[in-house]
Amino acid sequence: MSSTDRSSTTARLLSPLTNIGGRVAAGTLRPLAGVAGIAAGVGIGLERRAVERVLDSDELERVLNATVNSAPVQSALVQATQSEAVDRLVDGLFESGVVDRLMDRLLDSGALDRFLVRLLSSEGLWRLIDEIAASPAVTAAISQQGLSFADQVGEEMRGRSRRADDWVERAARRLIHRQPTVGPTQPQPGT
Amino acid sequence: MSATAPTAHDGQPAAPPSEPRYVGLATRAIGFALDAAVINVVAIVTALGVSLILSILHLPSSLHGFLTGLAGAAYVVWAVGYFVAFWSGTGQTPGARVMQIRVLTAGGTVAGPRRALLRCAGTLLAALPLFAGFVPILFDARRRGLQDRLSGTVVVEARQPSIASARRARMRARYEEAKVGASPTELGQALRNDDTARGLYERQV
Repeated sequence: MSSTDRSSTTARLLSPLTNIGGRVAAGTLRPLAGVAGIAAGVGIGLERRAVERVLDSDELERVLNATVNSAPVQSALVQATQSEAVDRLVDGLFESGVVDRLMDRLLDSGALDRFLVRLLSSEGLWRLIDEIAASPAVTAAISQQGLSFADQVGEEMRGRSRRADDWVERAARRLIHRQPTVGPTQPQPGT
Repeated sequence: MSATAPTAHDGQPAAPPSEPRYVGLATRAIGFALDAAVINVVAIVTALGVSLILSILHLPSSLHGFLTGLAGAAYVVWAVGYFVAFWSGTGQTPGARVMQIRVLTAGGTVAGPRRALLRCAGTLLAALPLFAGFVPILFDARRRGLQDRLSGTVVVEARQPSIASARRARMRARYEEAKVGASPTELGQALRNDDTARGLYERQV
């Protein structure tokens, strides 16, 4: 008899014994598994109730306010926004085209158009525009702009008229073949 | 505008005097046209008002000729008074102000009423012979016409700040003055009565 035949004979003899052992072990552990499942369910329920209680209470708001208002957190936030990592992140967003796609989606979705339509139809916007238009700073700027425009027109007209003075004189002198006279350019006292 | 004499200052050579530029025919014609527009608009509006009043009075028709003559005389007095008043006041009519020119005596002072009246008459004389009296402006060294020669006046450039730039400069001066030692609130209170100053202030603060 070869060694292979001997090992298969041993396995056939031990097989009923291993089956009996497995059933005994399973029967022994089944109550324990049930208890563990019930304990886990109870634990999850307790945890959920605790979280809900915390969320419903004012304590969370107080904690958040205290956290946000604390100087170390604020300085950390400021440092974070000023860090190079944030700059790199922003650069990466722009370079990857995410921002462009976002803008395209925003414009294509018509949300911006709807926002503008609603904005234009709101009474508050026109009240705001009226307030701004009637503000002293705006009216002063408009009047100043009007005066400046009149200034520019006047300056241009004066420049052209001065050039016309010289042109007419030159033409008249050419007409009578007379050279331009160089006379006193300043009013002479007593003359 | 008075002529400034050169003066030595701190051992430095005196700066050359500011030389007025005598104004030519085109500029003076534009200034006169603006004045004529002002005179005629005022005269027309006044005439319309007077006509409206007279129309409800039912005056006899024999008075129409007299009233027409009176209106003509009033027009002449108004036009002459306009020029005389402005020439003898500041040397600038509104049209001359726009064109930045000024009528002065040859000595550089503002003409008196009599000289202004003489210049007014000279202008009329210069215009009568098909405006031939204005031709000397083209050839005279100081660009004087018949009316200038008769009254001894000249027309010179009078560079001056415009209304807008004068207003800007005034507001800036007020702002600078108020800024010294004043808090933003005090500065705003000091300037709040002036809209332009407040606009300037709000832009700068």
